[in-house]
Amino acid sequence: MTHIAGTGRFRPAAVSAAFLRMDFIEDISYPLSLILKELGTLAPIFISFFIGDLVGEAPEVGDDYFTFATIGLLVSTVLQSALGGFGGALQRAQNRGTFETLLVEPVPWPFLPFFMNLYRILSGFASGILVFLIGLALGANYIMGGIPQLVVLLVLGVFASTAIGVLSASLMVLAKRAQPVLTLYGLAASLLAGAAFSVDQLPQPLQWLSYAIPHTYVINSARSVLMDDPGTFSIPFDTAVIALVVFNILVFGTGMWLFNRALQYARKMGMLSGY
Amino acid sequence: MSAATTAAGVQVEDLTKTYYPSPGWMKLLVRSNIKQPVYALDGIGFQVNPGEICAVVGPNGAGKTTTFRILIGLTSSTTGSARVMGYDCESESIKVRRLVGWMPAEDRSLIMRLSCAENLHFHGRLNGMSGEDLSRRIRDTLAKVGIAHAADSSVFALSAGMRARLQLARALLHDPKVLILDEPTGSVDPVASHELLNLIIETVEEQGLACLISSHRLEEIEALHSHAILLDRGQIRYDGDLDTLRGDLDRPSIEIEFASVDDAGRAAQEIKNPGLGESVRLDGTLLSCVLAPGVTIGRVLVALEPLNDRVVHLREVQTPLRDLLAEMYRRERTDEASP
Repeated sequence: MTHIAGTGRFRPAAVSAAFLRMDFIEDISYPLSLILKELGTLAPIFISFFIGDLVGEAPEVGDDYFTFATIGLLVSTVLQSALGGFGGALQRAQNRGTFETLLVEPVPWPFLPFFMNLYRILSGFASGILVFLIGLALGANYIMGGIPQLVVLLVLGVFASTAIGVLSASLMVLAKRAQPVLTLYGLAASLLAGAAFSVDQLPQPLQWLSYAIPHTYVINSARSVLMDDPGTFSIPFDTAVIALVVFNILVFGTGMWLFNRALQYARKMGMLSGY
Repeated sequence: MSAATTAAGVQVEDLTKTYYPSPGWMKLLVRSNIKQPVYALDGIGFQVNPGEICAVVGPNGAGKTTTFRILIGLTSSTTGSARVMGYDCESESIKVRRLVGWMPAEDRSLIMRLSCAENLHFHGRLNGMSGEDLSRRIRDTLAKVGIAHAADSSVFALSAGMRARLQLARALLHDPKVLILDEPTGSVDPVASHELLNLIIETVEEQGLACLISSHRLEEIEALHSHAILLDRGQIRYDGDLDTLRGDLDRPSIEIEFASVDDAGRAAQEIKNPGLGESVRLDGTLLSCVLAPGVTIGRVLVALEPLNDRVVHLREVQTPLRDLLAEMYRRERTDEASP
């Protein structure tokens, strides 16, 4: 069929494929960087393996620190990719001068965060699978029947992380450099969500604070579906799903609205291209 | 009938744009150097029809880029309206973006690690194109702009001229109805720039596009022989064709080289005395003269008849467009300053 000007419809699947293809080509253009990035993701598995030997059997971690820690690592790997993916892509596009070209394409602006983050989300999932497989190879004891529930939790967690990333990116459109906000959130999430230790090891006020972070629900519910004994702190699957759905409804909608508002404001002020 | 089939390519009416200083809370996020409102556009209006090239000319800060950015949706107007093929650039921005091919001034807008074909593929998919139609369009468009041989070369390996051609290819790929080219020859050498402009002229004619083009290279703008808009400090100072502008402002000039310095001096007197020359300048044996209004070169030659056999060389000098525009801006500013 021949293309007629102005008739090209917005096709989310085709646009997603175009962004994935572009980001993939860019990523494999720098093979060493790609390899080192993956190695950086995988190194903590081996650290957890040796810490597991040191910790031995502790009831807080279900008497199996290595399995406990690799689940935290797997979830963190996937969620951190989604969290920082859009901010990173936006900053790169602003630096390189390609952001305005994207804005001139006939793609609705509120959808851009999703498309620009898609490759990072999928590569985060790929790294997560690698963490899972290496964990298995090193002797982690996962309940295989819990994998479908894990996928549900990860998908909801990815949406939540993307939503937070979009909120931060809204600030970045105006402030131009707002990655520190995301870095701080990422650090807080690593500390409070209990990726490497049980949340009930934290002081009580920090435990309350951890309930405000989506990572906490995904990590601690993932342990409840993948481990026979998830330790002294876990969140039931149903509770985590409800909490994440509510979080996503509130924050994702707000994030997309804010991002569009930030773009419109920057457009009015004539500062879209500035950096 | 839809707006896109009935309207002018580009229609701008009473368009204003004021950039205001950032509010206090924004200063916490990023510093801005705008301390006072900047009136970038002050009620401009013009129209570009299908098949027409309109050159937008003006000094830095005249409002050229702001006008283009309003048309493609990258900034909003303060008041007035801008329409592309009948669609409002503010409220129907996505429809407008489908109909416009945009070539920004910076070649950084290309994705450097991707090949030429991959850049076009990405743009085509975002414009709803796919499959064999897209592949064929990529091949045809690259061939049209003369870089088919570089289809698989990464952008970072291309010369500035080839990047400019690729940017033009991207602007043309989705078969737009309006082309907006912001200094398309800015980073290109003179020969490549001449070829690029010829390509633009040819494409606009072939496809009946409405084309807005800005350039700092005035000789290029003049070579387009097109409709021109001269902007200065956010206002349109002239809207018409450059030949007419030249007719209004240009005074014919001649340079005559004589056999000796004495002959040149005598000739200068012959021209000055009856008031044939508005300005007469001597440089050794060379006499340069801007003719007074209404005076033809023939009248000067008649006045110099006794010296005709002493003339070594004679040529008409065309005033550079740059000087004409400077003259026009000077007159406008003098008029504004006078009570």
